[in-house]
Formats: sequence, structure tokens, C-alpha cells
Amino acid sequence: MLKYFFILLSFLIFVSPAESRVYLDINAPTFVQIPIVLAKWKSLEKTPPSFTEKVYEILANDLTLSGFFKVIDVPRLPGSLRETEGIPNTSSLQEWMRAGGEILLAGETLFEPDGLNFKLKFHLFDLVEQRHIAGKQYEGPLPALRSAVHRMADEVVLQITGEKGVTNTKIAYAVAQGTGKEIFIADFDGANVKQITKNQSINLSPAWSPDGKKIAFTSYLKRNPDLYLVDTDGKNLKLFSRYPGLNVSPSWSPDGKKIALMMGMQGKSDIFLIDTDGGNPTRLTKSHGNEASPTWSPDGERIAFVSDRSGAPQIYIMARDGSSVRRLTFEGSYNTNPSWSPKGDRIAFCGRAEGRFQIFTIGTDGSGLRRMTSDSGSNESPSWSPDGRYIAFSSTRAGASKIFIMNANGFNQRALTSSKGGESSPAWSRRFE
Amino acid sequence: MSKKIFIATILILAIALIMTGCPKKTVMKEEPSVKKEEAAAAAKADAESKATESKAKEDFEKSMVAKKTPGIEGEVFESSLLKDVHFDFDKYDIRPADATILKANADLLKKYHKVKIQIEGHCDERGTVEYNLALGERRANSARNYLVSIGVSPERVSTISYGKERPLDPAHNEEAWTKNRRAHTIITSK
Repeated sequence: MLKYFFILLSFLIFVSPAESRVYLDINAPTFVQIPIVLAKWKSLEKTPPSFTEKVYEILANDLTLSGFFKVIDVPRLPGSLRETEGIPNTSSLQEWMRAGGEILLAGETLFEPDGLNFKLKFHLFDLVEQRHIAGKQYEGPLPALRSAVHRMADEVVLQITGEKGVTNTKIAYAVAQGTGKEIFIADFDGANVKQITKNQSINLSPAWSPDGKKIAFTSYLKRNPDLYLVDTDGKNLKLFSRYPGLNVSPSWSPDGKKIALMMGMQGKSDIFLIDTDGGNPTRLTKSHGNEASPTWSPDGERIAFVSDRSGAPQIYIMARDGSSVRRLTFEGSYNTNPSWSPKGDRIAFCGRAEGRFQIFTIGTDGSGLRRMTSDSGSNESPSWSPDGRYIAFSSTRAGASKIFIMNANGFNQRALTSSKGGESSPAWSRRFE
Repeated sequence: MSKKIFIATILILAIALIMTGCPKKTVMKEEPSVKKEEAAAAAKADAESKATESKAKEDFEKSMVAKKTPGIEGEVFESSLLKDVHFDFDKYDIRPADATILKANADLLKKYHKVKIQIEGHCDERGTVEYNLALGERRANSARNYLVSIGVSPERVSTISYGKERPLDPAHNEEAWTKNRRAHTIITSK
């Protein structure tokens, strides 16, 4: 799939000369979703209506999943949007306000059944101010269609929120099968579910390499929890850390040169650093406690981790050489699974409250503790999206454990796939483009 | 227990007599009838002891059930004679009652020097995958350290943590959790 990205062309047709504006401050703890009118798309020439409907469907789903929009379907064509020298005519935007939206998204497709390439074009309008915001055209070969629509959705998110969306990202996770667990990957929208391991062993805690090409995970194939590397298509399985005892919970340094992990060489779990060829293990933690779940700060200078040195598991932060250790969490008696936001300012973690496990976030200075989940199930293993605006986690709220995604403020919680469950340990990839 | 001690004493005496007595024929001539009786008793005791030992060995070997696990290399054995020890929630210290179980396991291992074991650390389903792997590592090592402290050779005991990945009872209640917080012993080599 990756090779198509190189031949996928896109170019900006027009951006309004007015200053770029942020319609939605998604960094606010609460925000109201922007009502966006999604007009029916036009099929040019011999484009089959089913093709256009597919584009519309993927786009509408992406915008809904982003959590930033309230999508209003309007099944009619924006007939008044005739282009004059590439600039859409906005003289009759008034009628679209009746649909109840603040933004109008319209578009057209061109794909002839006997052709190889498609063309997609969208325009975005501000209905309140009656002006054109932006428009873009995309073209590429048919297999790149889904990716092109995702890029379009990301562009719409950029125009409205000031930062690109993450629809071209993937989530790796473990799925219980038989007596073991296998590693799977799915797209942000739950499409393209792929099984990466098929070895019947216990395969745990997948972690993406920063370049998005490899996944590190733990497997019991050789009757020890060893660390393996595998390509995202399941090929080139390589054993690379098999020290006696634990080799689990890998976390790649942002520069891709080191992996922090839990190792059991001392007869208990400690945080170690190893090279990406498995060599040079260096112990970072020196306490008598159990140390678990390392996660890097985005600048690669610090590592957050779990330690029960105080008697119960709590989140700690240390410098990458193991010095300057300080305790981050003080509320609650069981805080684990830290995940450092790519924006650097917050750490998500799993904490026990009223006997249940819930997702929390906290500032890296220990201030601003916020609870993100409150349902009756168990919510674990938070993992941030690369833009820091979403958190994936596992939840048993509907029975069997499933991967969920929510906006970083806790809104818009939804299951990733329609599977029957048994999912755990989500890990969010970088953007693929 | 006292019977065993008695037999063992006779055995030691017999061996001592044989070792010290054999070259000294004069001594043997002095008390021929006593020597004969003692030698007979010793031989009988020795045979009985060997029989008991071989029966126990047979029992232990009979108790071993081969176990292969999909996706995990190697064949191992489980024996109902090697009992599990259990732990409190989020704890890894050996409870006094469980120390007795480990002592019995150690006694068995001391009789069969060739047997190598692996202690598996298991946890209940509460808490996270990774923290439970750390806890399981600690539980397995607590049991191992205890065995080593009472004389089992450290080379014979390896450990592995399964965290919460292999619960004995998959139910989601206190009863199952109590069963699942355990250190389980398998035989890696007979």
C-alpha cells in the first residue's frame, strides 16, 4: 500500500485569502462539536454512483470519528457551486444554512469504470460568513482511494482545527485466540484489520518503531517472554532480546536508537535500555520494587514508568540515564500503564478508582489530574495518537475487552472495530503518508 | 518417620560395620552369630529401603504427565506431587502455610537429583498486563529463592512469569482470583 503514496498526487486549488482561523479549539477541556453539512457529491462523466457513494461514506465516517464534527447528511447536490476560474461561487450559500450547519463540505469525483485513476475534489465553505475556506484535489490509482479520502478528511480537520487529522494512522493490539494472544493491526477507522502473528503463542504489548515500519512485541515461543521484531505485514520475524526472565513492554526512543523495556535479570522486573539489535543492556532503575511499563517523553530526555517501591504501583519519571527520579502520581493506590503524550505536556495512565480501572491524564508536573472514563468496566493501556488529540485504550464496558478510542478530553468514546472482543494493549502508529 | 530413622540407623551401622569389619577378620570371628544377624537385617533393611525408594520414584514418575503447549516450544511434565503455592493480592511473599508446601516440594526434589524444574509465576486478572508480568516474575522468584534457601541447587530451578495470561480458572470472581495468584511448578527435565 505504501508504494501508492508516492504516485498519489494532491494539490491545493484554492485557499481563502482571509487569515487562517481556528474554528474549534480542541485543546480546551470541553468543546462543542462543529455542525458540518455534508452535501451529496457529484459524479462527473461516467463515474458510477456507487464509487461516489463510497467516497462520501468513508469521508463522513472519518469526520464523525474525528470527534470534532456533528455531521449533517444532506442528500442533494450543491447546484449553485459553479466554479469560475477555480473559485467557487458563494452567492447562494444562504440556502445551505437551513440545514443547520456552520460549515459546508461539497465535492465531486471522477472515475471511469475502465480507468485506472480517480480524481477527487472538495470545497469547504463557512456558512456563517458566507465565504470559501479551502479546496483541494486528489488523484491516484484505485488502490489508493481509501488513503486519499483519509487525506482529504485530515485536510478538513486542519482547516477547522488548525492541525491535521490522524486518519492515516494505524493501531496495533493483541487479540486473545485459543490459549494465546496474537498481534493485529487496524486502521484508525477500524478498517483493514490484519493479523500479524499466527503462532498460537502468547504475543504481548506491541510497540511501533518511530518510522512505522516495524513492531516490537513479546512472545513466549521459546518458553520465555522474549522480545521480537516483525514487519507490519508479518514478515521478517526476528528474535532480538532473549535475556533470562522478562523481556517485555518495549518502548522505542523517539530517535529509534534505543528500546526501553522491562527485564527480569535481577530476579525482579527493572527498566533497562537496550540497543535495537538487542545488545548493550543497561539497567536504569535501582530500587527494590517492581518496575514496569516504560514510556519516553517526546524529546527523548525522560522516561515515565511504574514502580511499587512505595508499596503500591505509582507512576514515576526519570532522566534517560536513570537519574533524577521523581514520583508523579499520589492519588489512588494502583496507578500503572503510563503513556506520554506526543505533545509532551501530559501523561495518560490507568488508575484504580472505586475498585475499577479507569483512564486518567495528568500534567508532567503532577498537576491537573483528569479522569477520562467512568463506566462500569475496566479501562486500561492508554496510547496517544501521534497528534496527541486522541487516546486509544482497552475497555471491558461491553463485556469482552475491546479497543476504544476517545478524544483526549474523554469525549466521543467508540469501539475501534466490530469484533467480538478479547482485545488488549493498543499502540498507536505515526502518520503514514 | 521413626521407622525411617530406625531403618536408616541400621543401614548406617551395617555399612560402618562392613567398612570397618571386613578387613579385620578376627573381629568377625569373635561374634559370628551377631554379625550374621546384623548383616541379614541390614540387607533386608537395605532392600526395603530401596524398594520404598524405587516405589516412591515410580510414584513420582507415574505422577508426571507430559504437557505440550501450542506456540511454546518443548515438552514439559506436571506432577500432582509438586504442589502450588498461593499469594495475596498484589503480594509476592511466601505465606507460612505455603512454606510447608515448598518444603515438601524440596524434599521430593532432593531425592531426585536429575529432575529440573521451572516455577511459573501467575496473577489474577485484575491490573494491567505489564505490571502483572512484573508481579509474576517476583512470585516465581520468591518460590525459587525459598527452595534454594532450604538446599535445592539453584541450577535446577528456572523461573518464568506468565502474569495474568494463563489463569487456572478463567472466571471473574474472588474464588477464581484466589486460585490464580500462584506459583506453579513444572518439570523441564526428568
